Amino acid sequence: MSGVSPGERARARAAEAAAGFILVLICLYCAIPFVWVFVASVDAEPSQFLKMPRSWSPHHYTSIFGQHDGIRWIANSAIVVGSATLIVIVLGGLGGYSLSRSRGWWRRPFLYTIILIRVVPPTALIVPLYKVLLTANQPVEFIVRAIMPSGLVRSSMHIVGFVNGYLGIILVLAATQLPLALWIMKTYFDTIPRDYEEAALMDGATLLQRIRKVLIPLALPGLAAAGLFAFIIAWGDFLMPLIFLSSNELQTLPLGLFRAYMRVNQMDFGFMAALAVIYTLPAVIAFGFARRFLVQTFSGGVKG
Amino acid sequence: MAIAAYQKRAKRQLLLLLAPSAVLLGALVIYPAFYSIYLSLTNEALSGPAALNPRFVGTRNYVRLFTDGDFWNSLVVTFWFVLGSAIIGQFILGLVAAILLRRPFRLRPVINAIILMPNAVPEVVAGFMWVSMLAGGEHATLNKIVAWFGIPPQNWLATFPLTMIIIVNTWRGIAFAMILLTSGISSISHELYEAARMDGATVRQIFLRITLPLLMPTIFLYMLVSTVTTISLFGLVYALTRGGPGGATEIIGIYIFNQSFTAFQLGFGSAVAVVMLAISLVIGIAYVRLLRVQV
Repeated sequence: MSGVSPGERARARAAEAAAGFILVLICLYCAIPFVWVFVASVDAEPSQFLKMPRSWSPHHYTSIFGQHDGIRWIANSAIVVGSATLIVIVLGGLGGYSLSRSRGWWRRPFLYTIILIRVVPPTALIVPLYKVLLTANQPVEFIVRAIMPSGLVRSSMHIVGFVNGYLGIILVLAATQLPLALWIMKTYFDTIPRDYEEAALMDGATLLQRIRKVLIPLALPGLAAAGLFAFIIAWGDFLMPLIFLSSNELQTLPLGLFRAYMRVNQMDFGFMAALAVIYTLPAVIAFGFARRFLVQTFSGGVKG
Repeated sequence: MAIAAYQKRAKRQLLLLLAPSAVLLGALVIYPAFYSIYLSLTNEALSGPAALNPRFVGTRNYVRLFTDGDFWNSLVVTFWFVLGSAIIGQFILGLVAAILLRRPFRLRPVINAIILMPNAVPEVVAGFMWVSMLAGGEHATLNKIVAWFGIPPQNWLATFPLTMIIIVNTWRGIAFAMILLTSGISSISHELYEAARMDGATVRQIFLRITLPLLMPTIFLYMLVSTVTTISLFGLVYALTRGGPGGATEIIGIYIFNQSFTAFQLGFGSAVAVVMLAISLVIGIAYVRLLRVQV
């Protein structure tokens, strides 16, 4: 190896400095909005703009739970997104297993359909979906009116209604996240040899026993990935709650935050920033866990 | 005999396991997708006389659609939005970040985490943060930054709306491009680089002759996936501008929403949705065919 000339060394150092400079710029671009939202959330006199706080205060966080409906929004988001994620994990696990093991004629068409569904924009589906759920809501309302005392009809519909009710938004969020979960679980089960199930089968285990004792333990990492992605996307989704939830009692975090900053003349930046931080935290934590699955999800099954 | 019976039962069990998923997707995705074709041929509405008594109107919605300036405007806005943010902005910054972060160094995990943050944040929070960054007035954050370069304060979202939503969406998607391209770069064999260096290739030559060509399949995958996801965007832009001012940021998703749920014309909104579905399916089929997706 011949020695590196001083000129080359200088050029290498200049290149490194340029690389560092570019990285700093990208990081500032990515980070400044977060710095503002965090600083504003603990600033005693917050403003819409980034500034050094003169005094710090946690009262924006406490006001979310005191003066505002913050607890209700958080609870609604947790119920809706949590239930949808649970449904996605269960259906995605079972369906993915089936798609991986079956040799039936329906396997290929189903898989191609899933891929195509994944490119269907949710915005293209909202109109017919709204109409479908509005129609489905009528018999539900009829039954609820028949069996519930009139004082409880409204609150019951908030639970089992397809439009403006927990049930509808949960099913919609689950349906939009299910294709990705099915795909993740199908490719995951493809990597698990059949030997384990066959051994269990030889021992006379029934289908339910095989699922509980053999498949779920084996599939846990895949289920975790599928659940994390479903959670992150459903948690951050704004379109579906905007369309399917209208009652104040059903507001979720994205709706609460959006409506708070649409009230242009009475914006409380400290409150909104604190709400934004609380809303962001679960997504960021889940994203941290999901990161290592990210690449496999998009290049999985692709032979270039 | 016993084996045949067992196999038949196993087949039935597998079908049973898939059934709940099939029902959910059938009822809430596939049926609505076909139902939108029917709706688009009616004058269905959420209010007014048509709401009580919708009629079949044939292709009237489509005729109206293709002569509607706002529709063409939203297609053009969507085109620039996808080109500016997904194809150019996110891709170039993601590629730069992937290359600069290729070798491990002490701060790399921190920088990685910072670049990933915008991708994890919910749409409405992203909109909320950037409304503040881009606000008018000399105390607004971006105005203070550009003041260092002698640029007078601007009301960014009012003056350059389309550019601003491109900048915000670029911000949000750098991480996705970076992650995908990093995986592509790391799969290129080190021996190739070694051999090139032995032959005295320059950094530029190595990038243009080895990295870029071998990265092509990954780049292509990225372009398809990011185009599809960017076309279907709604919340981020809606939270920022609601499509305004004057339709300048009315990407197709917002156009559908405004027509259907602000103007309450479900039939017309469905016609737009059908056009959007068709565009997305073409891209989806291209994805399956060109990348030879194995199922």
